[in-house]
Amino acid sequence: MPLFSRRYYDMHTASPKIPRVSKKWQQHDKPSKAAIPPWLINSASLVVMGLLVLLSLSIGVADFSWSGMLQGLISHSANADSSLMLVSRLPRTIAIILTGIAMAVAGMIIQVVLKNRFVEPSMVGATQSAALGLLVVSLLFPASTLMVKMSVATITAVLGMMLFMGLIRRIPPTDFLLIPLIGIVFGGIIEAVTTFIAYQTETLQMLSVWQFGDFSSVLAGRYELLWLTGGLCVIAYMIADKLTIVGLGDNIALNLGISKRQVTWLGVGMVAMMSAMVVVTVGMIPFIGLIVPNIVSRIMGDKLRRSLPAVALLGASAVLLCDIIGRSIRYPFEVPVATVFGVVGTVVFLWLLLRAPSEA
Amino acid sequence: MSNPTITTQSPLFKRPLLAAMSAALLVSISLTGCTSPDSSETDIDDTKVENKTADAASNVANNDAVSVATIDVDTVKGDVTLPMNPSPIVVYDMSLLQDLAALDVAVTGIPSGLKLDNLSSKNQPDPEEVGTVFEPDLEALNAIQPQAILVGSRMAEKYHELSTIAPTLDMTIDTANIYESSKQRLHDLGALFGKSDEALKLQQNIDNKIAQTQKVTQDKGAGLVVMVNGNKLSAYGDKSRYGFIHNVLGVPMADKQITDAAHGQPISFEYIQKMNPDWLFVVDRSAAIGEDSVGAKAVLNNPLVAQTSAWSKDQVVYLSPDSYLAFGGYYQWMKDLDTINTAFTKAQ
Repeated sequence: MPLFSRRYYDMHTASPKIPRVSKKWQQHDKPSKAAIPPWLINSASLVVMGLLVLLSLSIGVADFSWSGMLQGLISHSANADSSLMLVSRLPRTIAIILTGIAMAVAGMIIQVVLKNRFVEPSMVGATQSAALGLLVVSLLFPASTLMVKMSVATITAVLGMMLFMGLIRRIPPTDFLLIPLIGIVFGGIIEAVTTFIAYQTETLQMLSVWQFGDFSSVLAGRYELLWLTGGLCVIAYMIADKLTIVGLGDNIALNLGISKRQVTWLGVGMVAMMSAMVVVTVGMIPFIGLIVPNIVSRIMGDKLRRSLPAVALLGASAVLLCDIIGRSIRYPFEVPVATVFGVVGTVVFLWLLLRAPSEA
Repeated sequence: MSNPTITTQSPLFKRPLLAAMSAALLVSISLTGCTSPDSSETDIDDTKVENKTADAASNVANNDAVSVATIDVDTVKGDVTLPMNPSPIVVYDMSLLQDLAALDVAVTGIPSGLKLDNLSSKNQPDPEEVGTVFEPDLEALNAIQPQAILVGSRMAEKYHELSTIAPTLDMTIDTANIYESSKQRLHDLGALFGKSDEALKLQQNIDNKIAQTQKVTQDKGAGLVVMVNGNKLSAYGDKSRYGFIHNVLGVPMADKQITDAAHGQPISFEYIQKMNPDWLFVVDRSAAIGEDSVGAKAVLNNPLVAQTSAWSKDQVVYLSPDSYLAFGGYYQWMKDLDTINTAFTKAQ
């Protein structure tokens, strides 16, 4: 499925005011997906990801050598290199991978369930609601543990998304622009409430620290909750076919004996949980949930069982790459990954928009 | 600032009154040398009239008026000329508030929600709230009708807006040269409020304490200033608001590459391990803005920081929130120098 559906284009070609970006798509209008077999794409992106992982493990401020670590491994004795690897490098890399996977998969699920290419978890109020919950619980119970804060953030994220689903119920699913627009407004309202509370309680700085995606503080013992998002992704893969069917439309789901309501809520709940966990442990990273699913579904289509692994791999690679950039350009200082992804993501998003869909 | 309406209508009728008032003003000012200024006790309307009529009064009463003496104050926006001893005044900066509190000058308007002690002088009436350090409350300002507004870095953006209300002095302290700059500010404030002697005494206190502290900080190894904000870290260099540790107290920088940034350079724990400072100066940002959160100590307590000589020798100095919010203020100098002095003495 191209980024822009046929219907969207038709709608706008009727209006003389909007210049068409490209006409090429009209000339050969045949679906060109899955030209490359998925296994090839997946193994290629696995190789890329492997290289990025190696790079991510090697880059860091502290002195580290692979040979020293290997020696430690061979002699079964802990040395400075292997402990650095276990305390700092490996946790950071794992956290990055899990975050990338979670954000990309959550983006894909929400896009399929809402049947809309323009949404991502932060555009339907999930991450903003999570931040609001986090702020409220920190203000009311400052001494509560990370687990409690996380649970509250998850609950508020689910509530926020339920509210959003209620809002868009009356909008026809064919109205492609209205859903993201309502989502942006809805997210903006929640964010405004959060900011207002933070402003009144002088916690704006605390809020910004949470919200800004950054892996610099990840160490062993400080990121492990992210493993739960990995578990959620596995569940998502298991119910991938049901999600795909729900994405095809109400009648098809009904005919195939799938409870649309149940599966939709399951998907929405999982997206809310993933967003909340990532926001609590790492912060928000813009654009991943939007860009990665779009790129993958251009190449591989919307069949989730086929495309989810690719989405996960590409999401992980993208965040790895951006974090490596953030760590290198101002070495030994860091640029938060959210900043890097904001820049890179904007460029990629514009490229996706301006490129003619059929060339994918 | 001057208001012409008073003199135009019926000067003959007004003049005896003006003369009486200016006489009262002169008496009150001559008394301020030894006691606290009683201008704060006269109500706002009185002070306003005094100031408005100061010019007229000087023509009538033939003694040339201590009351109209003006003074040039050196500010970030150039010299500003204004009458001495302006009152009421509004102050939007915590460093300046500390200095004024130490000088025992009455401040009528301060920002709300300030988390520090030592911001208002003991012998003065409680100040009113006029917005926050970032955003003035224009209604409240209008009610006070200040004769001078003193601002620092946080309010500097609103300078033009404020200067339409009253003469505004941007007395931001230059972080790159915090010592000289804060000395200048203290001196200027002393001169402006006729308390030069007291200002000199306060400066002497600071200088003594610096000399004392320098003795113990010499040759004790390099230091790194780290701010902990939530669970994230940033490093500060010698041009930051913590630069005084390096360029006044002479503690060498563990990393000479650090450039200045408003909230420091974001760093990782590996960075601290690599730089391996002998002294770690820690600012807990959350504590500075009055939050209950994970303490800086809990954030730093990890295997990487534990490898530094600062941590292993227990040479971690936790700076007070003042050093973040009121850098260059009188009480900040005294407090931080004490903290550093104690820590370094203990390590000997």
